[in-house]
Amino acid sequence: MSEIRALIVDDSSVMRKIVERALRQAGLDALVVHEAGTGTEGLELLKAKSVDLILSDINMPAMDGLEFLRQIRAQNLAEGVPVVMITTESSEEHVKEAIEAGAQGYIRKPFTAEQVKERVLPLVRAA
Amino acid sequence: MAVSLRESVARVSDPRNLDASVEEVFRLMLGIECRREAGLATVENESVTAVVGFGGLLSGACVFRSGARTALKIAAQMTGMEFDSIDDTVKDGIGEICNMLAGAWKGKVPELAANCGLSVPAVITGRDYNLHVQAPEFQLHHGYRFDEEVFEVTIVCDGLQ
Repeated sequence: MSEIRALIVDDSSVMRKIVERALRQAGLDALVVHEAGTGTEGLELLKAKSVDLILSDINMPAMDGLEFLRQIRAQNLAEGVPVVMITTESSEEHVKEAIEAGAQGYIRKPFTAEQVKERVLPLVRAA
Repeated sequence: MAVSLRESVARVSDPRNLDASVEEVFRLMLGIECRREAGLATVENESVTAVVGFGGLLSGACVFRSGARTALKIAAQMTGMEFDSIDDTVKDGIGEICNMLAGAWKGKVPELAANCGLSVPAVITGRDYNLHVQAPEFQLHHGYRFDEEVFEVTIVCDGLQ
């Protein structure tokens, strides 16, 4: 697979590293990772850089992941780029809300590398 | 119809949900099999405590507490890095463990999964402190062990709608 540029948005630097490791374990070896600790930082990064994949936490201070996602769509940033939400929130209502906000995938924490592979690789291949 | 759990305290406070959540989070995120201790863990004085609040249908908190050595080991397992002190990365990692424990626990009860929010984690480090909640609705306070390490997880519910 050719180089994939991923934006990982999570207020936890440890979780950002874990998500990056899971992406590499999923087979995305040629991975270039951009990290953001807040939704606002994520939006600024998307204005400056092109990415092929966005993974975002939901439960973050200041701007949560759903608002981040709505802002991406409202500002026409990252058009056609798949967005996967990674979160502890697991109810059908939360998944529905994320999909309605424009997410293509949803991974519940805690997760395995295999789950990341199953949910993310098809989206990257289709994009 | 408004969702209520007032008549379901026994189901919400089922201790097996907490044990299953702890086992799930440690197995999936850390590759660690941990087991419940019959009694409470004796945590060394220098300890790390992470708190994630619940709000909505249930109000209260999920509290993770371990000694410094255990916290360092958990953070090392999460990140693949070695730590010799409780730095910001270790605190971040322990906060995330608590966040996932809280999320996994509330996810065991469908009404809570949909109607109970989580706060961002707060992490406290230090010596000889106690957590006290006046007259909780219910409280689960369990000790766990993996290898030679011990930790405690507490669910405190101070309000259930």
